[in-house]
Amino acid sequence: MARAKVEQHPATGATLVVMVGLSIAFLLFIAFLNVVKSGNILNEANLLYAALVFYSGAGALYLGFGVTGTDAYIKFASLATWAGLIANTGAVAHRWYEAGHPPFASLYEMLLSFVWTLAALTLIAEKKYGVKVIGTVTMPVAIVGVVLMQLLRSDVRPLVPALQSTWLHVHVTLAMLAYAACALSFALAMMFLIQDKMKTETFLAATSIFTVGIYAAVLTRFERWGGLEVVAWDAENKSEVFISRGVRLFVTIPDLGWLMLLVFAAVAAPLVLYIVSRWAKISWGFAYATRRIPDAFRNFWYGGILQRKEYLSNTAQLWKNTNPIPENREGLAVVANRALFISILLQSLALVFFLLRVRDGHYASLDAEGLYPTSLAASPFILSALVGGIFANLLYLLLLWRREDLERLLPDSDALDRITYKTICIAFPLLTLMIAAGAYWANKAWGSYWNWDPKETWAAITWLVYAGYLHMRITRGMRGRVAAYFAVLGFAVVMFTFFGVTYLLPGLHAYA
Amino acid sequence: MAHPLRSAVRKSWQTLSSIKTGVVLIILVIIFSIAGTVILQRPITDPDDMQRAYSPAMLHFLDSTGLTDVFHSYWFVALLLFVSLSIIAASVQRFPNAWRYFSRPYKSPDEGFRRALPIQAQIAITDEEQGLGAAERAFRHMHLKSERIVRTDSFSLFSERNRISEMAVYIVHASLLLFFLGYFVVDAIYGWRGFMMLNPGSTSDKIEMRSGTTRTLPFSIRCDGTGEETYTDGTPKRWWSKLVVLDQQREAARKEIVVNDPLVYHGVRFYQASYGRTGKLERLLLNAVPANGNGATQEISLSEHQIVSLDPDTKVQLAEFIPDFVVQDGHVYARSNDVVNPAVHMIVTLAKENRAVNVWLPEIPGIAENASSPYKFEPKELKTEVFTGLEVSHEPGQWAVWAGVILMAIGLTFVFYVVHVRYWVVPIQDARGNHMLWVGGAANRNRDAFEHSFKRLVEQIQKEVRPTTAVGPEKPAESIPGTTVAGR
Repeated sequence: MARAKVEQHPATGATLVVMVGLSIAFLLFIAFLNVVKSGNILNEANLLYAALVFYSGAGALYLGFGVTGTDAYIKFASLATWAGLIANTGAVAHRWYEAGHPPFASLYEMLLSFVWTLAALTLIAEKKYGVKVIGTVTMPVAIVGVVLMQLLRSDVRPLVPALQSTWLHVHVTLAMLAYAACALSFALAMMFLIQDKMKTETFLAATSIFTVGIYAAVLTRFERWGGLEVVAWDAENKSEVFISRGVRLFVTIPDLGWLMLLVFAAVAAPLVLYIVSRWAKISWGFAYATRRIPDAFRNFWYGGILQRKEYLSNTAQLWKNTNPIPENREGLAVVANRALFISILLQSLALVFFLLRVRDGHYASLDAEGLYPTSLAASPFILSALVGGIFANLLYLLLLWRREDLERLLPDSDALDRITYKTICIAFPLLTLMIAAGAYWANKAWGSYWNWDPKETWAAITWLVYAGYLHMRITRGMRGRVAAYFAVLGFAVVMFTFFGVTYLLPGLHAYA
Repeated sequence: MAHPLRSAVRKSWQTLSSIKTGVVLIILVIIFSIAGTVILQRPITDPDDMQRAYSPAMLHFLDSTGLTDVFHSYWFVALLLFVSLSIIAASVQRFPNAWRYFSRPYKSPDEGFRRALPIQAQIAITDEEQGLGAAERAFRHMHLKSERIVRTDSFSLFSERNRISEMAVYIVHASLLLFFLGYFVVDAIYGWRGFMMLNPGSTSDKIEMRSGTTRTLPFSIRCDGTGEETYTDGTPKRWWSKLVVLDQQREAARKEIVVNDPLVYHGVRFYQASYGRTGKLERLLLNAVPANGNGATQEISLSEHQIVSLDPDTKVQLAEFIPDFVVQDGHVYARSNDVVNPAVHMIVTLAKENRAVNVWLPEIPGIAENASSPYKFEPKELKTEVFTGLEVSHEPGQWAVWAGVILMAIGLTFVFYVVHVRYWVVPIQDARGNHMLWVGGAANRNRDAFEHSFKRLVEQIQKEVRPTTAVGPEKPAESIPGTTVAGR
């Protein structure tokens, strides 16, 4: 059909097995070298390495399953995940024993626990709910998590006074569990949207918007004359450089800002092309909406459920009857897919340049004289944002090339809709308890149970969004697509609370 | 119609209690909360930073609309008041119905109900008594209590579990109201927060409030000591202060507080918030060595303005301690209160010669006259004054908040995990006059799991019925005969 040749890359089963085998062998080889070098086999680094090897194997096999649909892969993928989880558990236990407190105190320790939770949830989702392809999504995330851990400081760090509380562990454990449940509900909602026959182009637009958001956030650190501001790193003390209490010193890496700007343009291109290809429809939709909004509002406000349903079906009918433009811009959509492909290459380039420039060299700062080094450990959020962007785009490619297989393998849309709701039913009480434990701890450490600190406020916003979801679902009978959009929105807010607040908004939650 | 005012009141009441109003209010709260995290907020941000971030006109606008202190502005509180009103109105509106439902359960279903119920099944039986008996045994098998409902013309069975679940949502809403009551009513009116700085040995009952005013406590606090412990790498490990409460001149309480473990006295809480050095001298230990080499070295200890005799003729006074000195135009100035670059000014007076010598440590060229002093001074130890910073708060509303938390945990558990399950069993006759057992079920949530247990119940009843009856002729034996488990 209209799909171009570039988009047809079905790797055959045999090549894939060879590739997976080779990569596992390579990783095992490196792991072996690492073990020989360090002498002690069962230390944390080696356990983590083993976890990485197994997770990588599992990820490759899940991906192989996602691409080829060969059921045999899934068995080995599960086995590899189990092995990885055991190694990961060992690493967590080792850490716990060595540090003397549960591993939640630093970003490194939280990632360790997060990856563990993710792997455990993957196995639960697979065994209990039969969502087999979920590993395709979660395992790459786990791999990225373990790789990030290798870059971050891993030495056991003493706890500053404010963190010496049992409530820290209660609070953070609940937060991790709640966020993991939210992540799961998001993945399930996305799967629902796939099963609900949402257009692949719409996923393209969503992916593109997500990536544009990431690069827009990164570009908030754009400095004049094309530099990119990153936090300076003190290699000796293994910590960020502070000018004064709580104020970090930023250094400017020259020219990296231009590259980010270029990649921003590249990731925006698919979105622009999508909008152009659907322009006729979108502009018609706008005109239609402006005419109907007062109506819709009146209807929302005064209409009962029955009237509303009638109204919606009328609207759909009207849309069909009056929308004059047929779909004749398929060509542009193809170009948009190609643009996305190019943007993945450019994003990888940006990541590579970021890694290289950050790892070596000393840079000037606007706030202090002299040159300062920086480190990847000082910019975990930029790093995870760049990696996350590439990952989301790759997932879209998987959908683009293998949609039929995915549809065949996923549970039906009704089941997904219900599981999403159930997951949120688990996430919401956890969120509530997490906020309550945080408030109790704040009452002991800061002198007040509620401070309207940005992190607190955003946690409350997350809670409100999910409360809205539950009200709409229970009392208004919200189902299907709207519910899925709501779940996606909820997770977006969770992500902002977790990453965005720390990165963009200052506050009391300086530790994580 | 009769009374326009009354209808207007009723209309606004209905608007207030509708779920749409609730959703719109939630959205408004979210929008303003976001504004409160994105716009720099007043008491926390430095005024200079505010002026740097916004233009004067912008700042004026933000200040006058209260956007620089969203969470304490009257309109945000008003908005949350509306939320509370909406919750109350919605609960009042729906509660009577729910209460009727709760207090007078629907036990014997009529024909219309039986037709409309989505989850139901029919089982062939020989007579009423045999069918009901079998159903009772099946209920017992599934650990459900059943009761026989006796009407004038009929018998039926009713069984239910967890009726309280219908009330759970009111528990959750009540807990939200408790939060608002605690935070926005009790604490907003009676609560306060402030700061107190104490040196070891000092006593105070004055608190600097956030607003800049001072508050006097009805009792006073004495600090018997404070200190810091660090890890080997220098990061702080522990800050502590020994506090004593003096109420009417007598010791009423005593506690060593650390971060995360405050002292509470009469609802006033004292938190270890900071620790540091004031930049004032507590004690300076010196060796005084006679400059001409005759006589022994003396060890002396000085505090500010203290005078010590070195020999009958010579006295030394500590005139000034500068924690962070800088020399400019032949004068010594203090640059900051941090003890980073200290200097000591001492005056050595010689009674016989009637002269005074200015001694500086370290020796500052052009100012110090150390050479003409009869003693040389070697600093041994410098002790500067420490202080403990105490965050003081009085939040009587927190008990309502904690009660709300517990209530909400209970409520949410009931809302999400406790399902109200009801079963009805009614013997009926179908169109051809055959005896049938009508079985119906309903659950207020988690329908899938309920459909599953409903199927199990029906199978169990069939098992109990079967030994004495043949299966209805038109129904296959394997699948559950006549079971219609309708979709949603």
